[in-house]
Order: sequence, then structure tokens, then C-alpha cells
Amino acid sequence: MHRRQFLARTGAGLVGATLTSTAFDSLFAASAVPQVVWVENGEPAALLTAALKEFGGMRHFISRGDVVVVKPNMGWDRAPQYAANTNPDLVAAIVSECFAAGAKTVKVFDRTCNNPLRCYTSSGIEASATGAGADVSQIRDSRFVKKGINGDVVKEWEIYRDYLEADKVINVPIAKHHSLSRITLGLKNLMGVMGGNRGDLHNDFARKLVDIDRTILPTLTIIDAYRILTANGPVGGNLAHVKQPRTLIMSPCTVSADRTAIELFGLKLDDVPLVAHAVKSGVAKFDTNALQLKKVRLA
Amino acid sequence: MTAKIRRAVQVLFLLLFIGLFIAARYPYTSGFPADVLLRMSPLIPLFELLSDHRLSLIFLPALIILALTPFLGRFFCGWLCPLGTSIDVASKVVRSPSNRVGGKWEKLRFLKFALLLGCVILALVDIHVWGYLDPLSIFNRAMTVVLYPFGTLLVDGALQGVARIPGMEGAAYALLDPFKTYIMPEPQAHHQELFWILLLILGIFGAEKLSRRFWCRNICPAGAWLGFLGQFRMFERIVGEACPVCNKCQVECKMNAIPGGNVHQTSKVECIDCFNCGAVCPPKIKAITYRWRWKPYHTPVDISRRQVVRTSLASVAAIGLLNIGFPGRESRNRQVRPPGALPEAAFADKCIRCLECVRICRSNGGCLQPDAIHSSLEELWLPVAVMREGYCEYNCNLCGQVCPTDAIMPLSLEEKQHTPIGLAHFDKNLCIPFARNSDCIVCEEHCPTPDKAIKFDVKEVVTRGGEKKMVQYPYVIKELCIGCGICETRCPLPGAAGIYVTTANEHRYGTPVAAPGPAPNPYG
Repeated sequence: MHRRQFLARTGAGLVGATLTSTAFDSLFAASAVPQVVWVENGEPAALLTAALKEFGGMRHFISRGDVVVVKPNMGWDRAPQYAANTNPDLVAAIVSECFAAGAKTVKVFDRTCNNPLRCYTSSGIEASATGAGADVSQIRDSRFVKKGINGDVVKEWEIYRDYLEADKVINVPIAKHHSLSRITLGLKNLMGVMGGNRGDLHNDFARKLVDIDRTILPTLTIIDAYRILTANGPVGGNLAHVKQPRTLIMSPCTVSADRTAIELFGLKLDDVPLVAHAVKSGVAKFDTNALQLKKVRLA
Repeated sequence: MTAKIRRAVQVLFLLLFIGLFIAARYPYTSGFPADVLLRMSPLIPLFELLSDHRLSLIFLPALIILALTPFLGRFFCGWLCPLGTSIDVASKVVRSPSNRVGGKWEKLRFLKFALLLGCVILALVDIHVWGYLDPLSIFNRAMTVVLYPFGTLLVDGALQGVARIPGMEGAAYALLDPFKTYIMPEPQAHHQELFWILLLILGIFGAEKLSRRFWCRNICPAGAWLGFLGQFRMFERIVGEACPVCNKCQVECKMNAIPGGNVHQTSKVECIDCFNCGAVCPPKIKAITYRWRWKPYHTPVDISRRQVVRTSLASVAAIGLLNIGFPGRESRNRQVRPPGALPEAAFADKCIRCLECVRICRSNGGCLQPDAIHSSLEELWLPVAVMREGYCEYNCNLCGQVCPTDAIMPLSLEEKQHTPIGLAHFDKNLCIPFARNSDCIVCEEHCPTPDKAIKFDVKEVVTRGGEKKMVQYPYVIKELCIGCGICETRCPLPGAAGIYVTTANEHRYGTPVAAPGPAPNPYG
């Protein structure tokens, strides 16, 4: 294909896609769908329902027969009140919503930092997600596959096969303190599907992680801020460091969700180099300087 | 008939041992003590009496066996010992010769008494090496280091191999999933000292090629101890008038306990109550019966006065040699012991090297390994925390709960979380921020204490390109570090870590310590 031809076709394609998607959106949503939704003052399941309502329900993201991966943070051997892992009730509610939207299977897994059996149990997620009908399984080393990354620094990395093969992915981080990246949110949570020596990612962290993340972006990112960990993260262990904003942030764009969640900690974009680098590298689906943010406060 | 019951009991106890071995793993909440059968070892009360001058009730299973032995003889060896049972299996595999050929090793019988005597003499000066030869300990050690990991490899490997065949994945995982859930949830274990422990167990099984129960006849100090106690035993084998002296029982005796020239006699020291003699006695004759007698005859223990003298002298020499070993401060400094371990000397005395702690650790952080000899023989196979390969899980205190001899005392979770087993040190020549002025901080990220024991300074550095950037330089707070070693395990360097744990600041059980502050429970 000639370059000119290629450019023309790509251009046409882009215009077409934009037009169709706009048309599509306007057909289904009376008012414009927000890019990021922030819901506060509620229990995890209620926060989820309210946020999904703004997007027209889970059907906006999940189609009938989809194989869905829900990726919470359950990396630590800590009980839910310590805010080191994603809220188990929220994970269960997401799994239920997926099934209600027609998902065929919902898989839940995470490559943990502490003993995986302990983390799955202590986080309460194994029990809650299984209860909602999800397929909760331990990471198997044999199921990582090499994926071409071709980024600035990372050329290739191992990613979990179930994640790559899923039709839809819902990324469910918990918002918490982290010394290296200042806070850890959606972009960082995707490390849980990465194989290999993840410690190697820790120098030149932002560039390496953004390299990989941009090739494995999820369908939807739901940031759990029902409880947040404000210090001694990401493990925590001291209840004095846990705050309860009882909030949830949802966006089809991980970077936009993360960008919005920074506010929870009273920080600015430049305080969080990982998110700042992601914005700068054009990983965001939306213009993060002019996000269409919808804030909802439950009664 | 009796031989069949005996065989069933053997299989039952072997399965019980294996079952309890498998049960010794996270979450370990059934409440049933997985070490109860290890406390059945008949040697434990003997050496407890010698060193502590008491008999603890936690060794009740062993005390029951010892109480029955003067009446029944070595029934433990023939009916209960899992090592004995696996030796019987090995004997079938390698096809042991009968006593016509194997009987020539009879001259080695004294060895087990000599070994027992040597162990006793050493124990009198508080050197306990008998644990290396304890049959239950050997069995558990082999299970931990060799048999169970090899089992994981075979089953895991086979099923994952099948899963790679197109179309077979579903079927293979349908088998693998319940297996991984209920039988072997741990990932593949890798243990140091594998070679030597394998050699020991292969030697024991391989000796079956020389004679049946070669280990039990000639080497096992537990067998010697039970034989010594059973030399007057009241339960006797009676050979009736009908015996035509066909010698079948003599030739087939597992222990060669029937003297070649006199089938009417039985060595009460050697007989393990297997009842094979009655079973092989020709059906038309059936001259062999078993019964109680209040005035039993006596068979002497097979060790000569000269052998006793030589053994004693050798033991005294061994005591001397063990005392002139190299102190090795540097290697001792890396020998981090499990939380709740007694002070080193008492720990080495109490530990029988059964490796039950290593086994249960594998289901959690996985730092414990059988130690190697660095400067003293007694270090061999003590549990040691090899933290580059695994760490002490913050919310886990299982090793102390399964130690059969309380060489590791059980600690509550709160106590354990406040018991430093060592102290982390940075090796700034390796540590990435110090060596390369580059960010890392993985150690700090993983540090589990509610107030992190690893903190960092942020300093500005100028890069090669002339840009300024901020780098985090970590350091350790001694008062907060409990030596769990997750920092060493997770250090992203490929080989030696930039942070490592030594025994500095370790706290051993029973030694004085400043009162710990109130502990939050991050577990629930």
C-alpha cells in the first residue's frame, strides 16, 4: 500500500469511526455520556450502580457472551479495612453487573506480592467474587505469554494469557499511597497481569510502565476509593492511615480516571509522575485538561 | 491373619503420616496438630530425660509406645514406623535376598547399639545428634525435601504437559485444578541439601539389596532403644512339637531374629512382631503360636564389652572434636532462625531436623530451608531462613505450631510480629539507588511493618546528560525492622541482593526483651 493511499484510508476510517460513534452515542444517550464519573457518599455497590447509570448501565461496556476479566488489587495479605486491597463488596457487585449485562464468564485474578493463597483469602475477594459467580483462579506461571511492546524502553514483556484473551477487561484498583509512584491507581494496578521480574520495572518506572500499559489498556477502569490508604503504602497495616472518602471513580479511560483520582489525595498531576507521563505520552483517550467529569453525591 | 492385620496397620499409619504431612500447610486451621505422629518417636523421651531430667506430656504418643515395649517388644518398628513401612516397600522393589544370603550382615547388628550409646554419651554433655538418625525425622525430612517436591514436579509437569496438547487443555485443567486446590496448593518447592538428604534416603532404601530391613537391623538407634527395652518382653513366639525344622521361618524373618541353628528361639531384641513366621509356617504344620508368659526368657543385647569400650572412647573423641571446631562468626551471622526459636545452643539440641517447619513454611513465605554445614557439624539441616528465595510472611506463625519438640516455640501472631529474627542491611555497592543513582525502592514498597522499617531520603542528582533528578535512597530503622526478609526476596537485582538480613538484633525465645507496644492486628 502506498503511503498516500494509506493516509487517505486511515483518515477516512477515522472520520467514519468518529461519525458512527457519535451517531451511536446520540442514539442511545439523551444527554452526552460523561468521560469520567465521580460518585461519593455511599456503600460500594450503591456507588457502582450510580456510576454505571451515568453511562447507561453495564451494557454500555459489556456485550452478551463476553468473557470478562475483572482485575482488582488483591496483592497483599491484609484484611479489607486496611485498604491495601480492592473492596471485596465492590468486586462482587461488578461481577454481578457483568453477568446481568450478559457476560458468559467473569474471571478474577491478580499476581500477588505476598503468598497468593493468603492474599486471595485475606482480601475477602476470593469469597465475595466466587459468591457472585466469578471464576477466581490462582496465577499459573505457565500462562504468561511474551507480548511485543515496542515502547520507548520496554520492547517485550510477559502478560497473563487470560487477560489478553478476554473480550472485555475491567480494571479495579484501590486508591492508595505508594512511595515510588506517590499514589497507586489504575495504571499501576495493571502490573498485576505482568509476568517476569516486576522489580525491574521500578527504575525508570513511569516510562517502562506506560510503555506496557498502553498496549494492554482495559475496557473500563473503576477506582475504588471507598477506603483509601494515605501513608505506609502500598501494604499499609495501620488503621490510622486509612481514610473513608466512600467514593468511586469510573471511566473508560484509565489515565482520565487516574488523573481525576489524584484529587482524592489533594495532589497535583505533577506530583504523580506516572500519571503525568501517561498524559504526556498521549495514552489518554480523552483530553485530560478538559475532562467531561460528572460528579454525583448520593443522599 | 495377624500378618495381614499388621500390614493393614502399616499402610494405615503410612497414610496417616503422609496425610498429616500434607495437612501441615497454610491455613492450618483444623486444630488437629500435624506434628502429633512426629511426637511418637521413641527416642525423644529418652533424650529429654537425659538433658532436661523430665518427661513431658507433649510426647505422650512416644511414652505410650515406650510403656508397651517391655511387653510387646519392637512392635513400633513392625507396625507403626513409616520409615519401616517404606523400607518394606523398597524391599519388594529391589527384591531383597532371604536370610540365607542377607544373614551374613548379622555381624553389623552391634552398630545400632553403638550408635545409640554414642548418641547417649554425647547427649550427656548436651550434644544432641540423634535427631539425624531418628526414623520418623528421616521420613519427614525425605518427604519435605525429596518426595513431596518430586511428586509436585511429576503431577504438575505431566498435567501441564498434557494441557499444552491442542484440545486437551480443558481436560488437563479439570484434573489439575482439584489437585492444586486440595492436594498440592504450593508452587513447586526447591530445597537446598537435596543431594545429601536424597543420598541418605537412597542409602537406606538401597541397603535392602543387602538384606531385608537392613537399616532397622543394623543402624536405627530407635530400633536399638526399643530392642533394649524389649529384651525381656512377655509376648513370645512359641514353636510347638510339630515343627519339622524346615527353616522357612528362619529364612524369611524380616529381622533375621530367629537364630540359624535354633528355630525354637527368637531374639526379643530384634523381633518386630511382624508375624511373618506364623504366616510362612506350612499350613499342614502350623507349629508357631504366640502367647503371653509371666516368666519370660531373656535375649541379650548384641553388643560386646569391647564394642562398648570402643564406642565410648570414640564418643569422647567426638565430643572433643566438636568442641575444637571453627567458631565462624561470619557464617553464624547469616543463620537466621525461625521466629520463636530457642537460643542457638538449646535450639540445636532440641531440633530433630524433621523439617516440619520447612514444610509448612513452603506453603507461605517459603524462606525456611535445611541448613548446610558452615563451620559446625551441628548446623546440618537445622532450619535456616534463606531470604533471597523466600521471606517470613508477616501474618504467619505456623512454624512454631508444628515443631514437634518445641525447638521453635509457638508464638501468637502479635508476639511473632514483634519478634525480630534478624536485621536488614543495605549493601550499597549493589543497591540500585546507591550504586547507580537510579530509582528502585522495591524493598520499601514490600516492607510489611505498620510503620515501615525501610525509609528513604530524597536527594537531587545530576544525570549524565546534565539534567537534575530526584532519587530515593533507602535506609533501615533498626527499631522497626523484624528481619522478615521480604526486602531481600524482592530485591530486583538478578543475583546477590542489595539488601540482606543478618542475625543482628535477633530475639530468641525466653531471652529478655523490652516490652512490645500495643499491636494492631492487620489480619482481621
